[in-house]
Amino acid sequence: MKLEEIRRKIGKIDRELMVLLQERMGLALRSKKFKEAVSDPEREEQLLARAEHLNLDLIERSFTRQLLKTIIEESKRLQQEDRKLAAFQGEHGAYGEVAARRFVPTGAYIPCMEFIDVFRGVEEGHFDLGVVPVENSLEGAVTQVNDLLTTTHLKVIGEAKVPVTHCLLATEETDYREIRQVYSHPQALAQCRGFLMRNNLEPRPFYDTAGAAKMLARENPRAAAAIASALSAELYDLEIIKEGIEDGASNTTRFLLLSREPYSQGGDKTSIIFATAHEAGKLYGVLRLFAEAKINLTRIASMPLRSDPDNYSFFLDFEGSDRDEKVAEVLKQVEELTISLKYLGSYPADTVES
Amino acid sequence: MKNLKLASREIAQRTVVNVAGVEIGRDFVVIAGPCSVESEEQTLETARAVKAAGADMMRGGAFKPRTSPYSFQGLGIAGLKILEKAKKETGLPIVTEVIDPRDVTWVAEFADVLQIGTRNMQNYSLLKEVGRAGRPVLLKRGMYSTLEEWLNCAEYILSEGNPDVILCERGIRTFEKYTRNTLDLSAVPAMKELTHLPVIIDPTHSTGRVSLIGPMSLASVAAGADGLLVEVHHNPEQALCDAEQALTPEQFKQIMNRLRPLKAFIDQQEKSEVI
Repeated sequence: MKLEEIRRKIGKIDRELMVLLQERMGLALRSKKFKEAVSDPEREEQLLARAEHLNLDLIERSFTRQLLKTIIEESKRLQQEDRKLAAFQGEHGAYGEVAARRFVPTGAYIPCMEFIDVFRGVEEGHFDLGVVPVENSLEGAVTQVNDLLTTTHLKVIGEAKVPVTHCLLATEETDYREIRQVYSHPQALAQCRGFLMRNNLEPRPFYDTAGAAKMLARENPRAAAAIASALSAELYDLEIIKEGIEDGASNTTRFLLLSREPYSQGGDKTSIIFATAHEAGKLYGVLRLFAEAKINLTRIASMPLRSDPDNYSFFLDFEGSDRDEKVAEVLKQVEELTISLKYLGSYPADTVES
Repeated sequence: MKNLKLASREIAQRTVVNVAGVEIGRDFVVIAGPCSVESEEQTLETARAVKAAGADMMRGGAFKPRTSPYSFQGLGIAGLKILEKAKKETGLPIVTEVIDPRDVTWVAEFADVLQIGTRNMQNYSLLKEVGRAGRPVLLKRGMYSTLEEWLNCAEYILSEGNPDVILCERGIRTFEKYTRNTLDLSAVPAMKELTHLPVIIDPTHSTGRVSLIGPMSLASVAAGADGLLVEVHHNPEQALCDAEQALTPEQFKQIMNRLRPLKAFIDQQEKSEVI
């Protein structure tokens, strides 16, 4: 092994240590939701003793104890901070985390395997907040999320329109000329089809964009790159070869911030879900109420009802808060015209042009 | 001039190359910027200065074909990213050189115009590659090449299906040593007789002397050129390459201030002659 290579490997191990520590701190914060006291001397001693038994020739017991104590101290300090646990779907670096960082600048961002884990986790109190994508400007509604919105009891307390800027990422050692395979989520690969074709690159579907970046950083397969967010490049120490490689000019995903409690300050945008009886003019009747009250609708989407596939539920977003008299009046009338009405919440609209 | 099926003047209509709204072949287009991208600060500062002085596009090399393998070879992809940033800020389209066929598609992702340098004019595999890249190509004249050889190289690019070729006269080798090369100004009207492609002038490399760049720029307007490609560095003394021939932003501005009225005057004359 050459000195340069040894140094590179040391650098890589240091980074992996940090990533693992980050994961450990996240778990420590999650454990806080289950216990009363932050300090648990018995459990600490158990941890220290077990680590000491590892019998590693280069790691002295005293060093192990000292190192772990430092880590435990830091995680206790973190637990005492009032950090909101914001859950998102995907690996660290996913666009969900990009949105979560915008919603909660000083939060702790918790990756979840599935959307349902985000919803359940918030409902059961394991997380404070959930961040889920509800629609994308190119691909349309995220059906799984819309379905979960109808079946769970969480409130929408915010929205964020996050520009999806796909980046081509590779490890530092990778020469861009040698890249042949590109790993990413099938949707991201599809959105960058033109770029891949122009540069003669072969798309390789992967379960997640950020997951592909993580795999690249850990395994460093030959001649490979990933398509993921710029945040992923930062988190996994990858080089951005090209930013903004998607074919379409504007690709934005709208994320919702979910909580057990409704937004407390009124807001200026409202989301509801309703279903009407299968009769002529019923939907029109509902929409007419909004038109007559001069309430601007910002989104209307339909989805087949799981319980009755012949019928639909409608997702309606409109300007105004349920605290506005006009809105409250319309909602009362909507209730009379529908067979089900679910109020998701009123929240501040994301008006930041990105 | 046989075998010039696509480049010859027999095609009646003159080619206008549209680069993000800048029309080379219709307007007098000034492309200015540093020889090479050295740093973000240097590139952005120069970009702002040339934009303020009225340049239409920006140049800057990320891949440099240097006489010595030990000279600065350019920043590569990192340099392209800096150019992209400069474009984002100033809105100036980017002209940058590509020297390796393996890099063509990658450079095309960042650049608006691909430049083929004088040393690569007859690099036929590179010409074919840029002919397929879907970007306009600025083809410099080889320093030892005849007009016919030059046109044949344009033909290579055109024959791959790329109609957007801009020719750039950058001086040829003669026995004269005072100037770096000899600017063949007659190439402009000559090429206008031979081809429908736009022709621009590089007064920097052809003279190699700051004092000669202004006069030759004005002369190229009078000769009927479609534009200029000129090197400007915000601090020429510290430039990593071609330091002795780069204009300061102030010198560039002075040339621009004289050049635009001259062009307007000539256009006015031509218009009244037609009437």
